[in-house]
Order: sequence, then C-alpha cells, then structure tokens
Amino acid sequence: MAEQGGGHSRIHDLFGAFLGAAAAGVLISAHWQVDRSGPDPFYKGPLIYPLLVLSIIILASVPSAWRLLKPRKGFTWMLDGAGFPIKPLMIFLFLVAFLGGLVFIGLRVSCLLFVFSSLYYLGHRRPGVLVLIPMIITGLIFILFKFFLDIYFPTPLILDWFEG
Amino acid sequence: MVLDQVLAGIQASLQLGNLAALVFGTFVGIAVGIIPGTGPMVGMVVLLPFTFTFSPAVALSLLLGIFCGGYYGGAVPAILMRTPGVPSSIVTSFDGFPLTQRGEAQRALSAALMGSFAGGIISVFILIFLAPLLAHVAASFGPPEYFSAALFGVVLVVMAYREQLSRGLLLLGLGLWLSTVGIDGPTLSPRFCFGILSLQNGLHVVPVCLGLFGIGQTLILVEREILQTKSMSLTRRTLDFSKLMETFRYWKTMIKAGVIGTFVGLLPGTGSILASFLSYEAVKKTSKNPAAFGQGTPEGCLASEGGNNAVPAGAMIPLLTLGIPGDALSAVLLGVFTINGIYPGPLLLIKEPVLINTLYFSMLLINVVAFIMLALWLRPFAMIVRVNSSILAVIIMALSLVGIYSVNTRLFDAMVAIVMGVLGYILLRLKWPIVNLVMGFILGEILEQRLRESLSLGEGSPAIFLTRPISIGIILLTALIIVVPLILDRRRNKQSGP
Repeated sequence: MAEQGGGHSRIHDLFGAFLGAAAAGVLISAHWQVDRSGPDPFYKGPLIYPLLVLSIIILASVPSAWRLLKPRKGFTWMLDGAGFPIKPLMIFLFLVAFLGGLVFIGLRVSCLLFVFSSLYYLGHRRPGVLVLIPMIITGLIFILFKFFLDIYFPTPLILDWFEG
Repeated sequence: MVLDQVLAGIQASLQLGNLAALVFGTFVGIAVGIIPGTGPMVGMVVLLPFTFTFSPAVALSLLLGIFCGGYYGGAVPAILMRTPGVPSSIVTSFDGFPLTQRGEAQRALSAALMGSFAGGIISVFILIFLAPLLAHVAASFGPPEYFSAALFGVVLVVMAYREQLSRGLLLLGLGLWLSTVGIDGPTLSPRFCFGILSLQNGLHVVPVCLGLFGIGQTLILVEREILQTKSMSLTRRTLDFSKLMETFRYWKTMIKAGVIGTFVGLLPGTGSILASFLSYEAVKKTSKNPAAFGQGTPEGCLASEGGNNAVPAGAMIPLLTLGIPGDALSAVLLGVFTINGIYPGPLLLIKEPVLINTLYFSMLLINVVAFIMLALWLRPFAMIVRVNSSILAVIIMALSLVGIYSVNTRLFDAMVAIVMGVLGYILLRLKWPIVNLVMGFILGEILEQRLRESLSLGEGSPAIFLTRPISIGIILLTALIIVVPLILDRRRNKQSGP
C-alpha cells in the first residue's frame, strides 16, 4: 500500500531505500565503528542500543525497498511538478562558499558576498536591495556577534598570506 | 515557603532582562507566525545561539515568547488571505476568511485574538495545577518507568503520522541513531565517528534543529516564493475594541477550546493542528448554530485559535515533569534546559522552584504582551506579509550560519547545520514527517540511558519492564495506542471502500 501524504512518486521509495541501505552499511560496520573493549556485559555496553535503532531503520525501509524493486502501476519518478531544485542547490553552494569564506576571507567580506550573490541570483536587481541589504545585514551581524556577543572569528587566511 | 517561591518567581519574571527577552521574543514570534512558510520553529532556532549568553530563565522566556507569539501571529494571514501563517491556523481560515470577504475582518480578528488569549491563559493555569500532580506521580518512577514513558512518547509521535507509518518510523530511527553518534557517556567508547575527530563530541541539538528547520525551511522559501499578496489591507491600525467585547458572549467556547488544546498539547506528537481541529469540532457539535461553521462565524475562529494557543503550555507539562517533550518546539526548549545543566523531570519542580515559577509567570505575561501587541499594532504586523520571502530567506540563512558558529566557535557545527539543512530540505520537499526525526534525536539519549539502566537493574533481562505495575500500565497503554488507531483505520477504510 502506498503511503498517503506523499503521492505516488518513486522518489519516496528511492530515498527510503537509500536510508535503509545506509543503515545496513552502518550496522554491518558497527563492530568496527564502536569500541567494545570495555569490561561491561553486552546489555550495559555501547552497542546494544545502536543495534536496536539501526534495525528499526532497516525494517522501516523494507516497504520502500520492495516498492522500488517492484513498482506499482501509476508510480512515476515525478515528485511534485516543481522540477529540479536548481535554486536551492545554488543557494546551498553559496552557503558552503560562505562557510569556506569565513576561514579564507573573513566574516565581513564573506557575509557581504553571500548576501549579495544570493540576492542577485534570486533576481533582485534594484540597487536599494542589492547594495543596501548586504551592507546592513553584514553590519548587523558583525556588530551583533563581534561586539555584542564577543565571538571570536578566525583571522582570514588571506591576511596571513599577505602579511607573510 | 511556597508563597516565597511564587513571589520570587513573579519578581524574576518582572526583571528588566526577562521582560525585554519575553517582549522581544513575542514580537519575533508574532512576526514569524504571520509570515507564511516560516513559523515559530524558524524563529526559535535562529535565536537559539543567542540564548547561550543568557540565564536559563531569560533564555526560556525569549524562546517561549516566540513559541506562543507564533501561534498568535498565524491567525492574521489565515483570516485576511486564507493563508495560514502556522499550519494549525488553517482551521481559523474556515470561518475567518468568509468573514473577511463579508467585510467583517475585524470581527474575525477580534475573535481569533480573544480565543488565542483565553487559550493561552487557561492552559498556563492548567499547567500550574497539573504539573505538580504529574511530578508527584513521576517521583515514584524508576528507569523502567521512564523508559516506558519515553517509549510511549515516541510511539505517539509515530502514530500521529500513521498515514506515513514506515516513513515516520524510518525518520524516528534515524533521529535515535544520530543521538548515539559521539563518545558514549557510561563506557567512554567512541561510536560512529567514522574517523572524524569532531564527531567525538556528538551532534549538538542546536546545529541539528537549526539545520533541519532554519536552513531547510529557508531553502524551501527560496524555491517556492510562498507569499501570495501585496493587496492585503486593513482599514484600522488597531483592533476594533467594540468587536472585541462581542467575543465575551462565547466565554464557554473559550474555556472549552483552552482545555481541549492543553490536553492535546500534553500528548507527545499530536501537535497544534489536531488541537485546532478537535476544539473546532467540539465547539461546532455543541454550538446553537452549527450550520454557521464554515460560513463565517467568529465562534469558529475563537475555537480554533483557543485550541492551538493552548498547545505550548500543554506541551510544557510532560516536558517539565517527565523530561519528555511534546513536540519539536518543546524539544528545542529541552535542549536549552540541558545545555544549562537543568534536567527536566519530577525533581525539577522541587529543585528549581523559582525557575519554574518564573516560567509560569513569564508564560502568562507573554500572552498579555502578545495580546496587547497585536491589538495595538494589527496593521503594521499584518503588513509583514509583504516582505519578500527570498530576501527574508537569505537573511535567515546568513544569521543562522554565523549564529551556529558562535555557539561553540566551531566551524564543524556550521557544517553539521548545512548537512542537516539539506536533509531538512529533502524531507520538507518530500513532505515526510520531519518532527519524528527531531523527536527521535532529542528522546534518543533519554531512551538509551533508561534502557541500559533498566537492563542493569534486571541483570540483562527485558522482563524488568513487565514486573513493575506503572511500567506495565504504560506499556499496555502504548500497545493500545498502536492497535486501536490501526483497527479504527481499517474499519473506516472498509466502510468507505467499494
């Protein structure tokens, strides 16, 4: 029986089966991933609970895996008609670059670039939005975290390189 | 003695820092509640990193302000645009929007606001009365009883989304497993670190929740541009107070909705949507004019909002007395407690009476503040929906990422948040019950700890759970919760089938 709330897309089954397979991989490698050298009996040890939990994931993924192997009539790869998530993917990449930028070019420049490039990519062209908002947000974040919360941010690597 | 503690609680809740936190939290809560596609969870997780610099009472006031304020705000777009700000306000739109179409938006908004206020206040009083009683019962709990209670909680969560049973179970399992990553406390054995040193500290609740809800939800916002209108307008800046007085006619409805909402909120996993629906249906059944429901009656708005606004205080009852959060929002609050070295449970009410009383009075104050704010600044708040969602999403993401780094000044936490953000986006896009993942993650540690303690008591035998009356009672109740809905669903399917 197809589960409600998600339509008849096979993507649900693919994702469910993927999680189940990953859990199976973790379960198989659990003996190497968990140090069981302690003196405790198994029921007090570090592995009993993860084994139970991983078994739950694997069991719960069986219907998805079954449907993936034997697709029912009417099931397609179409999810919701919204297409490939190109916008979220690009923003995700900007977000990763922002994180990397924190180390290489520092908070201010990377934040400014992240907000600017994201807004530009999302179609904002008005100078008021494209220039003012990145500056305001960067200023706000800098004041809030650096001065108000006194958070340490790493010195940009690029500065280290320039200063030798 | 008790009076001293109550007075100390009132005094602490009225301190400038606490007042500022709850006013700001309520303001943010109303704003994020009004903006469709965000909601109180996004507000809470974005501000979560800031709470670590505050005392527990102030931090909780800030987050509770967002929690409660979000439900107040959600009614506004539901009534004016038939777009619920929070999912549970969809029920409010059944009657609110028809009233708006008839030019009676002020009547609908007055009823919703009064219902929200009544639901909020009634539920806090039930919390004050019920929490000590439940804590008294829970004081006799040992590890097997705690394990059974936590199991009851996770089963309720899974069964609440039983139309997606295997997916819900899968996500619950994933959440439970994620809670095991890192060094195991009792044995000091590293688990599932995959050679990554930073994983030895385990996964922190803040990056996980902020990623799943903050970043995940904003990626959806970027994609869908959820906001619908620029034409929404209100003729008055404030609420029409003459319409507010009319709502007192429905005082019985207010009480009924508040009580129903509190008890629904008390049950883990049920959530505010069910509270709204149940209150609405219960009031409709006993109304003198049930045919008016769905056509535009203020009583419908009042019932729905009374129900969903009672949920936050209801959810605090199992959280404070058993340490079991009722929903994802209170799971975040549990994280704030534990980060500050406070462990909710039956002893909390004895050990931290001032904090508990501060919490109670702060919740009462939050309802008063939210009511006044929305009544006086109705139009400015309603205009928030005009903010462009993609700009908002970018701002939330920048704040979230820097905020998450600031908690422990670890870039690793920000990486975890980004990974969780992607997972959150996928789950939101697939419409899988993401709340199961969070509940599993939060309850995972409690479940594991109590399971191992129980098995130690029983020298490895799981029969320990069946030798203690309270534990047996909870396990039987858990079994009923699994079996009864499935039988009822099957019977319903047979009746509606060919």
